[in-house]
Amino acid sequence: MAAFGSFALLIALALAAYNLVAGAVALRLIATGQKTAILPERLADTARRAGLAGFYAVTAAALALVWSVFANDFSLTYIVEHSNRALPGWYKFSALWSGQEGSLLLWAWLLAGYGFVLRLTHKRDVKLYAYAGAILAGIQFFFLLVLNFAAPPFALVQGGAIPTDGNGLNPLLQYPEMVIHPPMLYLGFVGFSVPFAFALGALMMRYPGERWIKITRVWTMVTWLFLTCGVFLGMHWAYAVLGWGGYWGWDPVEVASLMPWLTGTAFLHSVMMQEKKGMMKSWNVWLIFITFLLTLLGTMLTRGGLVSSVHAFAESPIGYWFMVFMVIVLAVCIFTYILQYSHLKDERQVESVVSRESAFLFNNLVLIAACLVILWGALYPILSEFVEGSKVTVDAAWYNHVTVPIGLFLLFLAGVGPLLPWRTTSLKSVRRNFVLPCLALWVTVLVCLSAGVTPWKNGALDDGHFYALIAFALAAGVLTAIVGEFVRGARVIARQTGRNYLVATYLLVSRNTRRYGGYMVHLGVVIVVVGLAGSAFNRSIEGELALHDRLLIGPYMLENVGATQDSTPNYDTEYAQLDVYENGAKRFQMTPEKRVYLASGQPQTMVAIHSVLGWDLYVVYEGTNPATGQPIIKAFLNPLVSWIWAGVLLMAMGTLVALTPGKAALGSQLSVVSS
Amino acid sequence: MSENLGLIAGVLLAVALLVYTFWPENVFAAQKPKSRLEYLRERKEQVDENLRDLSFEFSAGKYPQEDFAAQKKQLEDESAKLVAEMELSN
Repeated sequence: MAAFGSFALLIALALAAYNLVAGAVALRLIATGQKTAILPERLADTARRAGLAGFYAVTAAALALVWSVFANDFSLTYIVEHSNRALPGWYKFSALWSGQEGSLLLWAWLLAGYGFVLRLTHKRDVKLYAYAGAILAGIQFFFLLVLNFAAPPFALVQGGAIPTDGNGLNPLLQYPEMVIHPPMLYLGFVGFSVPFAFALGALMMRYPGERWIKITRVWTMVTWLFLTCGVFLGMHWAYAVLGWGGYWGWDPVEVASLMPWLTGTAFLHSVMMQEKKGMMKSWNVWLIFITFLLTLLGTMLTRGGLVSSVHAFAESPIGYWFMVFMVIVLAVCIFTYILQYSHLKDERQVESVVSRESAFLFNNLVLIAACLVILWGALYPILSEFVEGSKVTVDAAWYNHVTVPIGLFLLFLAGVGPLLPWRTTSLKSVRRNFVLPCLALWVTVLVCLSAGVTPWKNGALDDGHFYALIAFALAAGVLTAIVGEFVRGARVIARQTGRNYLVATYLLVSRNTRRYGGYMVHLGVVIVVVGLAGSAFNRSIEGELALHDRLLIGPYMLENVGATQDSTPNYDTEYAQLDVYENGAKRFQMTPEKRVYLASGQPQTMVAIHSVLGWDLYVVYEGTNPATGQPIIKAFLNPLVSWIWAGVLLMAMGTLVALTPGKAALGSQLSVVSS
Repeated sequence: MSENLGLIAGVLLAVALLVYTFWPENVFAAQKPKSRLEYLRERKEQVDENLRDLSFEFSAGKYPQEDFAAQKKQLEDESAKLVAEMELSN
């Protein structure tokens, strides 16, 4: 199977090369009108077919690796390093992307898949799709070069006998979420190649008008949805597996996924300005260029081993390959931009600081600022090593110190933006739209202060409580603003159609799915922020518990009622059994575990979590005290964590609504009101 | 799968994909360049959508009468310019 897989990758490389070269030549011939023996359109069609064929070739290679994993083919180095016979089926599947070579193959396969769909739907705009297809072929060519020559997934075990078993999968990855988190993340990372290809292609061909944004919109939103889900699945995995009670540690891999999400979010917003008002053209083009470059940078930082991380499993030379490719991509972007600069003249400028245009602009600036700050933190270890000879890492406190205020300002803009009109606004309009949200904000401040959320403790500013107070207050204001949009809109529809408010709300959303789906996403963001603010009130306690000893945390009392052990072919485990009491009555039992995976000999904690609306009770079995043999239990009470996951679900639902085609017919009934 | 079998399967795959790529095809998609009129039509559609959104937001009570009238006039002027240019292009 190794020979077949390697051959399939070589075929894919050749097809990508043909796709790129033939596609570029065909477009050049069409642009210049040059007569040739072969019709340029025919040449372009063979290039497109080469792209389609490339998908089949990469799929064959991917299937070959899948086969090798399930067949326990330990003649392949990759299988030895990331799988073993006793590994359960689901985790064998996820072994495909647990290592560098497999994850690069996943990247190439997803890119080929996106390209496959793009090339099948090319009749939407033949020329634009031809440009985008050629650019995607260039990206695919790079990844296949790396797979064929720098990180081959089908490399054979060298020198000597074939091992009878493998080293197994990293225990950190043996968790259900790890089956879905990397594919989601990669669907997001790789997906940004498509809007990048469309943007660069539209610029190269001096696309007349903004219709290319409408064409690209679905791709961008789907990609953003996948990346959002990928990022939050990663957070949930970190929370449920790593056992430190938190969900975000500003690890380089986390940072690598967040940066393109920030710029991608900025792009999703600012393209609305270009579509509706013909503004921010240069800005948008560079935003998507940078988003794509950040997806490559993230891979270079983590897979290249430049910055140490719990995720970076090995250093490798592919970092240099990515660096060269990024330089080439950047050079192409700069060259194309300079050449076609005159095509990007804005049709109008921002007229007023208090306008929806300004809100979008500030939103973009703040998102970019957040990205730059985070990028600085990610690159600082490399720069410090280069300049001073020693690697200095930036801790979570620094990141939190700079990103929390930025995040709160973004939340503020999420509420302000929808309330402002385009172009300019009057004081009367501001008063009309901002009274209720401001009222909600100040009422929340008073409620929080009376509930004990006090920013000052013992005469000093408590950062956590201070930012939590601002977060809760802003959340209330933004929530009021967004709900107000739904209520006002539903009122109009109800008046016009005579339907009840529930039906009117449905008709409102279906009339303009993009806007109201977007509002749902904003609502989700508000809920997520409330959940994040809850971390300011986290509590924890640790103790050694003999049999029937107790631990008190918040409203709960934990009693040690015993321990038990178990064995599976994959791991040995010890459970602590803890009865949990609330108000004197036993409510449930929790069983945090400590596992040792047999293939690798690595230990792994399995956290026990009891989640309710108000908080999570999070319990970790830290092992036994060697001197006394008693179990050591650490318990956390983490307020509002479930709001984070609920908020993400709402963000995902909102994006799906926004992706649904709106019913324009109803909109035409509610046309211009005579003044 | 033995190495030889793997190579044979690979060669067969390569042949199949090359045949698919270069299969003689007489009907393929082409596209005439977008005319100025088509571009103007797209712009007008967007301006009309902006007008509809503005009217809806006014009905929803977001803007006072004066703000709505000023914004509507600007959009109607823009639409009129586009219509005039479309008529010249026809």
